[in-house]
Amino acid sequence: MYKYDEIDRAVLDARTAEFREQVQARLSGALSEDEFKPLRLMNGVYLQLHAYMLRVAIPYGVLSSEQLRSLAYVARTYDRGYGHFTTRQNIQYNWPALVDIPDALDHLAGVQMHAIQTSGNTIRNTTTDPFAGAAADEIADPRPWCELIRQWSTTHPEFTWLPRKFKIAVTGSPADRAAIGVHDIGLRLVKNDAGETGFEVHVGGGQGRTPIVAKIIRDFLPQRELLAYLTSILRVYNLAGRRDNLYKARIKILVDAMAPDEFRDAVEAEYDASRGRALTLPVEEIERVSSHFAPPAEGEPLTDIPTGTAFARWRAVNVKPHKVKNRAVVVIPLKAPGATPGDASAEQMDLIADLADRYALSEIRVSKEQNLVLPHADKAALGDLFRALDGAGLATPNHGRASDIVACPGLDYCNLANARSIPIAQAISTGLHEAGLDDATGDLTIKISGCINACGHHHVANIGLLGVDKAGEEVYQLTLGGVGDGQAAIGKILGPGLSADDAVTAVIACVRVYAEQAQPQESFTQTLNRLGTDPFKEAVYGA
Amino acid sequence: MALDALRRIEPQAVELPGDAAPADAEAAIKGADRVVIRFPTFKDGRGFSLAALLRRSGYEGELRAAGPLLPDQVDDLLRMGFDAVDIERPDGPARNRNTGGAPYIYQPDPGAVTARPTALQIRALAARKATAEALAKELDGATPEAILCRAAQVYGGRMAMLSSFGAEAALGLALVAEIASDTPILFLDTGMHFPQTLSYRDRLVKHLGLTNLHILKPDEAELRNEDPDNRLYDRDGVACCDLRKVRPLGRALDPFDALITGRKRYHGGQRGDIAAVEFDGERVKINPFAFLSPQDVADRYKALDLPRHPLAEDGYASIGCWPCTAPADEPGSRDGRWAGQDRDECGIFDPARAERAKRAGAIRLI
Amino acid sequence: MKTITANRLTDGRVVYLTPEKSWTEDADQAVRLEDDATDAALETALRDVLTVVGPYPIEIDADRDGFAPAGRKHVRETIRLTGPSAGSTKLGGAHV
Repeated sequence: MYKYDEIDRAVLDARTAEFREQVQARLSGALSEDEFKPLRLMNGVYLQLHAYMLRVAIPYGVLSSEQLRSLAYVARTYDRGYGHFTTRQNIQYNWPALVDIPDALDHLAGVQMHAIQTSGNTIRNTTTDPFAGAAADEIADPRPWCELIRQWSTTHPEFTWLPRKFKIAVTGSPADRAAIGVHDIGLRLVKNDAGETGFEVHVGGGQGRTPIVAKIIRDFLPQRELLAYLTSILRVYNLAGRRDNLYKARIKILVDAMAPDEFRDAVEAEYDASRGRALTLPVEEIERVSSHFAPPAEGEPLTDIPTGTAFARWRAVNVKPHKVKNRAVVVIPLKAPGATPGDASAEQMDLIADLADRYALSEIRVSKEQNLVLPHADKAALGDLFRALDGAGLATPNHGRASDIVACPGLDYCNLANARSIPIAQAISTGLHEAGLDDATGDLTIKISGCINACGHHHVANIGLLGVDKAGEEVYQLTLGGVGDGQAAIGKILGPGLSADDAVTAVIACVRVYAEQAQPQESFTQTLNRLGTDPFKEAVYGA
Repeated sequence: MALDALRRIEPQAVELPGDAAPADAEAAIKGADRVVIRFPTFKDGRGFSLAALLRRSGYEGELRAAGPLLPDQVDDLLRMGFDAVDIERPDGPARNRNTGGAPYIYQPDPGAVTARPTALQIRALAARKATAEALAKELDGATPEAILCRAAQVYGGRMAMLSSFGAEAALGLALVAEIASDTPILFLDTGMHFPQTLSYRDRLVKHLGLTNLHILKPDEAELRNEDPDNRLYDRDGVACCDLRKVRPLGRALDPFDALITGRKRYHGGQRGDIAAVEFDGERVKINPFAFLSPQDVADRYKALDLPRHPLAEDGYASIGCWPCTAPADEPGSRDGRWAGQDRDECGIFDPARAERAKRAGAIRLI
Repeated sequence: MKTITANRLTDGRVVYLTPEKSWTEDADQAVRLEDDATDAALETALRDVLTVVGPYPIEIDADRDGFAPAGRKHVRETIRLTGPSAGSTKLGGAHV
C-alpha cells in the first residue's frame, strides 16, 4: 500500500496544524460558528445530536494493521471504545470533544491518516473495490489511480468551495464493486483496441433526493490525462453548478439540466483549453505510485482444514478467490445477528490488526457494505483465521447475504436523520435468523437510510428502506429492485409507508418471497422482473 | 489636479461579481488593468475558477479578491491568480494567518504568475534524473544501436527525435528507422533553411520510409510582430533563434520526456563530454552517436549507402539556417555555425537549463 | 410550553438553558417557558456563542412535572435527552 514521502508528510502536517489553529480561533471567538462550520466540516467534524462526530478518511478503503491499531486507540481514548465504518469506506467516532480533536488528529497523522475533506462541499475520499489488487476478475488495479486522485484532490485551491459535495469512485473490475454508476464521477478502467489502459468516464450519478444513474461522457481517456480531465469536469461544475438550492446543487442536476451531450461538450472544450504538461501525469510518478501496490507473493496451500460444517460454510460465503496463487480474500462481516452494522470495538480492531499481521500481509480493507476485508490472506492460514474470527464473533457467514444489512447511523446519532436505522437493521437481522431465512437465499442486498440523503444507499438496494418523518412519527418507505454494483439501477417504491414494526415484517416477507419463488441461480432483480411486484405487494400489504 | 487629468492617470478598473459568467467577465475586462472580483459569500467558490480563466485568457493586470472572505482562503486565492485579497469582515475580531502557503503543492497553480513545481513534478524529475544517470553509466561508450535500443525500452511512447536534416542527420534518422521506427521526428522549419535542406529532407523521408514526421513552424502572429521583414537575423541572431527555433520547439516538446539527438563529442565546444543519456532539468537527451569518431561516421555512411546532404559536398560540415551557416575547415566541426558570433549553440541545447537538474533533489520516504 | 436547548461548544454535549440563563446537562433544571417568552430567551441564548452552538427552542409537555419532549420533534428530542436508543455506544437507551 501507499507510504507517504516527505512531501505528503509536510502537506498533512501543515493541514493538521492549520485545523488546530482554526479550532483555537473558534474557541476564542475569532471565528464565528457560521465561519467555523464549513472549516470544521471540511476537516470531518460534524455536530450531531449528542456530541461532535469525527469522520476519519480511509483512503479508498485501504488500511495497514498499524493504522487500524491507531483507529482502535482513538476509539478507546476519544470515543466510547467503538468506531463506525461507513458506506463510504471511512470510519466515524460519535463522541469526541471538539477540544480533543486536534490531539486525535495529531495521533492519526503519525500513521499517515487524517480527516481532510471527509465532509464539506469538497472532493471527498475516493472509493473503490474493496478487493482491489486481489480480485481475480480485475482488468487493472484501481488503487494507484485512487492515490493519484487523492493527492490531486487534497486541499485543491480551486475546488474547496464547490456548490455541493463531490464523490469519485474507481473500479478496475467489470463486476464493479464500487457502484460507479451512483457517483458524481465514476471511472472504469478499460483497455482500448491498442491494448492501452484508460478510463471510461461516467458523470452525474448519485443517490439522495434525486437518484440518477451516471452518464458516460467519454469512452476512453488516456491514463496520463486523468487529472486534466477531472480538473475540467470540476471547473465546469464549480462555475455552473447551482448554488441557490441545496437540493439541486449536485453535479447530477447540472448534467441533467444541460443535457449530457452539452455537458460533455463543455467539459471537452475546457479540457482542450487547459490540458498540457502541468496537468499530465508524469510516467515516473505513475510508476512510483504503482510500485507501492505490487501484487503479493504466493501463499502456501491449505492443508489444515477444520472439521465440521461451520468452516466450510464460512469459507463458501466469506472467502473470495484471489488473483495470486494460494492467497484468498477474507471478508469479515460486522454483521452478527442483532449487531449494529459497521460498528467495531477497539478490541475487535486490535484483533483484526493482529490477524492481518500474522496471516494476511498486514493489510485490511473497508467495504462500502460496512465490513472489513483481509485482501491478501495466506490460504494455509484459513483454518487459524476462521478459529480466531469465530472466537471473537467475527465469522458470521453472511457476506453479501440477506443479513449483511447496510444501515446509516440514523436518528440515534445523526443530526440530519428523520428516523432510526440501526434498530430496524437489528430487528431485521434477528428476525431473518429466527425465521431461518438468513441462509435461505443467495446474494441479496438490504439497505436502510434514515433520511433522504441516502447514506445507507437504500436507492441501490434490492430491498431498501427509507426513514421519513410523517407528522412526528417515524415511517419507512420500502423500495425494491435497486442495484449498486455493475449495471446500477434505482429501486422503486412498493407502496404506502410503514411503521417501524411493519417495515421489519415487510422486509422479512419480501426475503421470503424471493427465497421461496426464485429459480436456481436467479438474482433478486431477475426474480422481481419475472414475477412483477404483485407477490411482494401481497406479502407486504395483503391481498 | 484637474478631474480630466485624474481620469487619464487612474488605471482602468473593473469590478466583477463573483458569480459572473466567464464569457461576460472576459468581455467586461477588455482594456482594464485592475480587476476586482467581489465574492458574495466566502462559501461561493466560483470566483476561484473565474480568476484562473481570466489569467488564462491573457489578463496580466492587477487582480483583487474582495468580499466577506476568510484569512484561511488567502493562500488558495493567491494560487488562483489573485494578487491581493481585501477581506471585508465588519463583525468579529481580526484574525491573521501568515502561513506563507503550503510547503508543497499537489496541483499546478491554476492562475499564479510564477508557477511552482507540483509534488508530482518534483518527484518525477528526481526519478527521471536518477534513471538518466544510471543509463549514462550503463551505456558509457556503447554503440548507437545499443544506446537507442535501451532508450526505447525506457522512454518508448514519450521519446522523439529532433532532426535538422543537416549534414550528418541521415545517420540518426536511419538508426531510428531501424530500431524504433514509430518515433516522432521533429523538424524545425525555421523558414530560413537552404532549399537544399528541404529537398534533402523529403528525399530522406522517402528513402528511409519515415512515417511520423512533425514539421514545426514559428507562430505566425509572433513572426508578424517580431520579424515582419524576415531580417531579424541581421539585427539580433539570438532573438531570431528564439523566435524560429526555441519557442516552436518548446510548444512541440510538450508530450515528450526524452529527445534523441545527433550530438557527438567530436563536435567540440560544450559537447566535448556529453554522455549517452543526459538529464537537462526537465527532459532526457539521448545521444546515440556521442562516442563516434568522424571516421566512424564516415564508415557508417559508406556502409548504409545513404544520400548525403548536397551542401556537405560544398564543404559545409554543420548545416543550419542559411544566414548563420558557413563552410568550416574541419569535417564534422561546428566552426561554421554562427561564424563571427560569440556563441556555438542555438539555445535548444543550452546547458543553463541544466541548472534546474541539480535542484531536483531525491525524495525521502517516511 | 417550551425550553431552549443547544450543544456545548467544547464537547458538543446536549445542554438546556436554566432560569438563571446558564446551561445544564440536567434537563430537569431546564427553564420552562410560556410560548410568548421563548423569543426573548432564545435571543439571549444566541448571544452565548462561546458556550453553546446552535440554540433552538423545543416543545415540552406542560402537563407533566418532569421534563418530557413533546410536539413534532419529540422522538428526536427524546433521543437527544436519553442518548442513542441503539448502536454499540448506547447507554441507558431511550424510551420512545
